[in-house]
Amino acid sequence: MQPPIPQASRARLFKEYKEVQREKAADPDIQLVCDDSNIFKWTALIKGPSETPFEGGVFQLAFAVPEQYPLQPPQVRFLTKIFHPNVHFKTGEICLDILKNAWSPAWTLQSVCRAIIALMAHPEPDSPLNCDSGNLLRSGDIRGYQSMARMYTRLAAMPKKG
Amino acid sequence: MDSEDDMHDANDVDSLEDFYSGDTAADSDDDNDADYDFDNDSDDDADAIMLHRHQPNYTILKEEDIRQHQEDDITRVAAVLSIASVSASILLRHYHWSVSKVNDEWFADESRVRKAVGLLEEPVVRYPNAKELTCGICFETYPCDMIQSAACGHPFCSTCWEGYISTSINDGPGCLLLRCPDPSCCAAVGQDMINLMASDEDKEKYSRYLLRSYIEDNRKTKWCPAPGCEYAVEFVAGSGSYDVACQCSYGFCWNCTEEAHRPVDCSTVAKWILKNSAESENMNWILANSKPCPKCKRPIEKNQGCMHITCTPPCKFEFCWLCLGAWSDHGERTGGFYACNRYEAAKQEGVYDETERRREMAKNSLERYTHYYERWATNQSSRQKALADLHQMQTVHIEKLSDKQCQPESQLKFITEAWLQIVECRRVLKWTYAYGYYLPEHELPRRQFFEYVQGEAESGLERLHQCAEKELQTYISADGPSADFNDFRTKLAGLTSVTRNYFENLVRALENGLSEVDSYGACSRTTSSKSTGGTSKARGGRGKGTTSRSSCSNKTPDDSSRWYCEHCATANAKSTNTCQMCYQRRA
Repeated sequence: MQPPIPQASRARLFKEYKEVQREKAADPDIQLVCDDSNIFKWTALIKGPSETPFEGGVFQLAFAVPEQYPLQPPQVRFLTKIFHPNVHFKTGEICLDILKNAWSPAWTLQSVCRAIIALMAHPEPDSPLNCDSGNLLRSGDIRGYQSMARMYTRLAAMPKKG
Repeated sequence: MDSEDDMHDANDVDSLEDFYSGDTAADSDDDNDADYDFDNDSDDDADAIMLHRHQPNYTILKEEDIRQHQEDDITRVAAVLSIASVSASILLRHYHWSVSKVNDEWFADESRVRKAVGLLEEPVVRYPNAKELTCGICFETYPCDMIQSAACGHPFCSTCWEGYISTSINDGPGCLLLRCPDPSCCAAVGQDMINLMASDEDKEKYSRYLLRSYIEDNRKTKWCPAPGCEYAVEFVAGSGSYDVACQCSYGFCWNCTEEAHRPVDCSTVAKWILKNSAESENMNWILANSKPCPKCKRPIEKNQGCMHITCTPPCKFEFCWLCLGAWSDHGERTGGFYACNRYEAAKQEGVYDETERRREMAKNSLERYTHYYERWATNQSSRQKALADLHQMQTVHIEKLSDKQCQPESQLKFITEAWLQIVECRRVLKWTYAYGYYLPEHELPRRQFFEYVQGEAESGLERLHQCAEKELQTYISADGPSADFNDFRTKLAGLTSVTRNYFENLVRALENGLSEVDSYGACSRTTSSKSTGGTSKARGGRGKGTTSRSSCSNKTPDDSSRWYCEHCATANAKSTNTCQMCYQRRA
């Protein structure tokens, strides 16, 4: 195993940072922010995709980037509560293949955000982290799933009214 | 097995291979008749059986052999498909190293195969005039000569390639299926790229994975399961038994990779091993050290004191440890406190109730299991001991004997062979106990027959063991060459051959499900032994071994060229009237 070169991951993250600054308007659904004091910590705000129960919500993600990045994937979790089969209801942990064994170093934090938005629109009920949510979908209760998901989107991902 | 190996085996006196590659041993016997003052007439038959049994339906592969085979396959595919050998290697790995499968798939639909495997015909992206390119991983810009690509053309800098490859190799054998780092690209990354980019240590790891894949992904090959053994076995299915004898001396079953277990089948072995692991340790201890309380049935360990046992609360039953009867019944009336004749008397009167009988039955079933398990385990340890003795023989005693008796070591091979036979017999005998355990109890004739042939096998083996151990000792410790050493040679070699034959027949009879019982019915001593010897199973020409070797003078009709000694069961040429083994006259 090669010793990790934090320098390389730092340089790569810095490039991503500059890219994010430059292309701020490129993807209005994603807003990536680097921690002020630590380039290995990022947060992202993503908009719930339209025509899903998450529409209208804004979800916060936390990125912890390892020193071996981009050879190793970043750790990502939802900070905003979300009712989704592939997101742990308590911890916000995400079950997504590209964050595990299908990771490629050519992915970026931005593309990870895009993949997560795609996951929100297309849940995988057969490998659930949230079994209740997965069971609703697997039993064909689309309405039940959508109303639960929408309720949690309202409760957690939308500005409180009044 | 090719002929070079044969020569090697036959000449390698010290190695364990001789016995297992029985074909070669037989060959060398025939080649050097003069080596043995032994009547080859009687030996031929054994050899014929050995030849059948050890028909080389498998090959032991050393690491060089594996590499050679792998290379040959790759070269062949590369030549037939006119592709680079790196691509051929990727293809073969994808199709589990089956050359024919690769050919079939490729010629059926080349472009589909290329896509599935990731062998691109031309790059996906081209930068014909670029002087500088941006690495897709670190996003730095480099002059073109510092950029590398797989067949797809996606540019990555050398440093990032190195990191990518090293990470993948250290993640495990998945590195053999490495693809271009670009997530949308399926181009395979082959060994050429690995060799270009990886550190020496990683290259070594990669090539080990590649070698392992050749054995592990291939249906026709397996690693020898013995700890520390690095040989692999290539097996040609469809012929004869699954038994494989690795050159490391470990014998195993190709089908289930447990140790060799003829005559018992794989599923019985699995059941037996499961039973052993589940029950033996606990049950052995409980049986050896405790009795169940006659009232509450909890096992009780008696660690001290008198026979008056009081069970722990809440039971508090007081009973006699010896007869398990209530203590209140003990006393003058029952013939004294420790003369527990009450038990026998009660049993005779049929006083014991249903629960008592059930408990007895449960105990009996455990006892039955322990009976077989103990004997199984004893033969196992006997076999280990015999292996150790064999080793001792080969490393120390043979040389000593050679000096004492003025015999060249090459002519003492019969001793090694005897010991190898003992080891093999112990193995077979061990598994006959698992066989016996699962033999239905109500099939009395079959059981009796089984126990008879098993008993015969046991005593035959003891005879051989005795001769190879005790009698040999006198020649080793002799002061000078013994006059009767040649007689000893004849005797031991003969015993080896007889025992080998008997066990071969035993194995076949058991594999046959002791079907003779059905035709012979409950057997007298004579019939049974005759039928064991005469078991001919019409399987791949094996039926040839229709010779009776058991201790009766019955002759099978088709076997008129020799007679069998009444005393030691040796086959003798018809021309003599004295047994060459025990010097008794022909009956």
